[in-house]
Amino acid sequence: MSDSAPLTTDHPGQVASATPPAPGRSRRLSDRGLAVAFTSPALLLLLAMSVFPLLWALYLSFTDYSATRGGPAQFLWFENYTAILTSPQVHQRALTTLIYVVGAVALQTVLGFAIAYLISRRAHGRGLLTTLFLVPMMLSPVVVGLFWRFMLDAQFGVINSMLGSLGLGQVEWLTRQRTALLSLVLVDTWQWTPFIMLIALAGLTAVPKYLYEAASIDRASEWFQFRTITLPLVWPLLLIAVLFRAIEAFRLFDLVYILTSGGPGVSTETLSFHVYKVAFLGFNTGTASAYGILMVVIVIVLTQLYLRYLNKLKED
Amino acid sequence: MLVATTVAACGGQDGSAPKAPATIPELTKDPLTLSFIWFDWPPAHALEAFANAEYTKGRPNVTIKVKTVPNANWHDAMFTQFAAHKTDFDIPILDSQHIGEAVTNGNILDITDFVKKNIDVKAYNPYLLAAYGQFPQAETGKRDENASLYGLPLLGDTWTMIYRKDLIGDKPPQTWDEMISVAEKCQADNPGVSGLAFHQANGSDAAAVTYNTVNGVYGGNLWDPKTRKIDGVLNDAAGQEAMDVLVNKMKPLTAKGSGNWFIDEVNAAVAQGKACIAFNWIAASGGLLDPKQSTLGTTREQILDKLGFAPLPSQKTNLVPLGGMGMHVSAYSPEANQAEALNFMKWFEQGDIQKKWAAAGGVPSRTDALESPEFLNAQPFNQVYTDSVPRMRDMWNVPEYARLVDIENTNVNAALNGAKAPKDALDDIAKQQQGVLNASSGKGGGGL
Repeated sequence: MSDSAPLTTDHPGQVASATPPAPGRSRRLSDRGLAVAFTSPALLLLLAMSVFPLLWALYLSFTDYSATRGGPAQFLWFENYTAILTSPQVHQRALTTLIYVVGAVALQTVLGFAIAYLISRRAHGRGLLTTLFLVPMMLSPVVVGLFWRFMLDAQFGVINSMLGSLGLGQVEWLTRQRTALLSLVLVDTWQWTPFIMLIALAGLTAVPKYLYEAASIDRASEWFQFRTITLPLVWPLLLIAVLFRAIEAFRLFDLVYILTSGGPGVSTETLSFHVYKVAFLGFNTGTASAYGILMVVIVIVLTQLYLRYLNKLKED
Repeated sequence: MLVATTVAACGGQDGSAPKAPATIPELTKDPLTLSFIWFDWPPAHALEAFANAEYTKGRPNVTIKVKTVPNANWHDAMFTQFAAHKTDFDIPILDSQHIGEAVTNGNILDITDFVKKNIDVKAYNPYLLAAYGQFPQAETGKRDENASLYGLPLLGDTWTMIYRKDLIGDKPPQTWDEMISVAEKCQADNPGVSGLAFHQANGSDAAAVTYNTVNGVYGGNLWDPKTRKIDGVLNDAAGQEAMDVLVNKMKPLTAKGSGNWFIDEVNAAVAQGKACIAFNWIAASGGLLDPKQSTLGTTREQILDKLGFAPLPSQKTNLVPLGGMGMHVSAYSPEANQAEALNFMKWFEQGDIQKKWAAAGGVPSRTDALESPEFLNAQPFNQVYTDSVPRMRDMWNVPEYARLVDIENTNVNAALNGAKAPKDALDDIAKQQQGVLNASSGKGGGGL
């Protein structure tokens, strides 16, 4: 209703307001106008920072445009997309990314849920414990990468020093193919397990207590209660946490950049790290745009499939 | 990533380097900040302090600011701004190999006429002048006087061999083979101390410079610049021998887990007494003599009793890597700042200023400064630089440099860390680099 509307109303039962407009509010600005005025800065920002770059990148992805080399962009149509999808280099990075995402998210889910379950069973100190566990998540990934780089250093690092004091040999954490990827998984797990823990804890504390009481009266075992009450009720929430983490892990760049630079060789180069090289080492802007668009499409498609599964789970 | 790519993509294009005036335009009397961009290392801080102390004596309205970025971001920090056609720096300090990319894209001024009128070119070793400014690239050891110049030397550099006099004796090894056998014996005689320490990381140009150095010493070539041929040149018999020496003879003498070492890690190993022989850039070696950073002695003299500095050993050739950087003028800088930048360059390249720069910790390029007591007495490794100047060889100075060096870095790093067989790594480098050069006529497509 606009503030210049008459005091009568067409709708029976609705009482017309006789209150005059608030002082200072323009009589010409309708509610709709006010809503537009309030939302337009955010909308403009979104258009300028997200929608326009996305559409511009989409256009560039069909061209041979380079941000640094001269001349007009020529249309290649789907040539960039074909090159990316058939490139053995891209396949190798996709496999590395897949191993990393599956390894890191699976480990974080198991650990995060286990910690949340243990915390949820405590009567005292739950708040303090939760806060302490959340600290790694609040740190910048660059800072996390830097101090883990020092800690994992084969010669001067504290981890090898501790292993040495236990009589174990030195491990080349960041310079061997297998251990380098494992190190990335471990560091990411250290930082992001608290996120899963937090979501799982929210789910666990929301489970009605009377269900457990009823189960206890029926003399159900702890394991039976966990399997038939706790897990089914927390599972959908946990899957949403897994979705968020999987999307984040798929975009991994900063930890790779700081910890391994993609090495040894290219064995820890993820898709995001490879896009960065294509975009800013060779300034192959057209190819990099197509690469970025493909990554966005993959995330959207997988997310949609995942959400459908989640909805089906809820319906069941 | 998409946003960054798009911002870079909206910049627009030119394609050829604009010319700087032969005569310096009238300078402003208003307050002006002259900005450089470099990576974060001691010479960058030394330059800012030196220029603010000395240059401002004649130009009190000017403040010098040297902006620094991490070494691994150096190329990207400059060229993403070039791509946007707007820079927050006036003087980009480019690696010699970046010149081709910057010139071809029209990012820096052509200062050929300015140099002719304002710089005493005979005061330099011709190759040093060419390496930091000439494009197309000069033949090793020479300068093409008809070629255009786009920069002037700021900081000379090369590798020095750092050796433990208390462990291997006062006389440094003279040949590469001798160096390896001395390092081997030293490692065997001194448990806990590795025979060698050198750059192996796959960031920046670390592992690539190491291979290129060994390649040069063993008589190999990086490419044939006339025919732009890499495959068959880099991986010829000499190139294969160099890779074999590096991976199978040198790598086993390094510390476990040193496969990601670069400048700082090598210096740390030397300072903590963990290496018999090490290789590092001269301009980054000053910290080795600081007792606060070293376990080799409590005074500079005590450290110097244990550490020696020498030019690289020779083998089939005596080539050493050319390091250092030149000063250039951003094509997107305001006119007043471009004029000030040219004035700074003219001031900086004077003989007496070059000697003062040497005394302040810089590595000059003028021959008179290189042979001056101010330079030779400033640091124990400065004589190494002066002796190494006639032996220098650079990498490829072409627009595709960033991709070429990335290919070489990742493959050499893979070979050094057991992720690839040495021969396969070298063949892959040659094949992939050749692919980049062959595809360079294309624009923003490809690049995978």
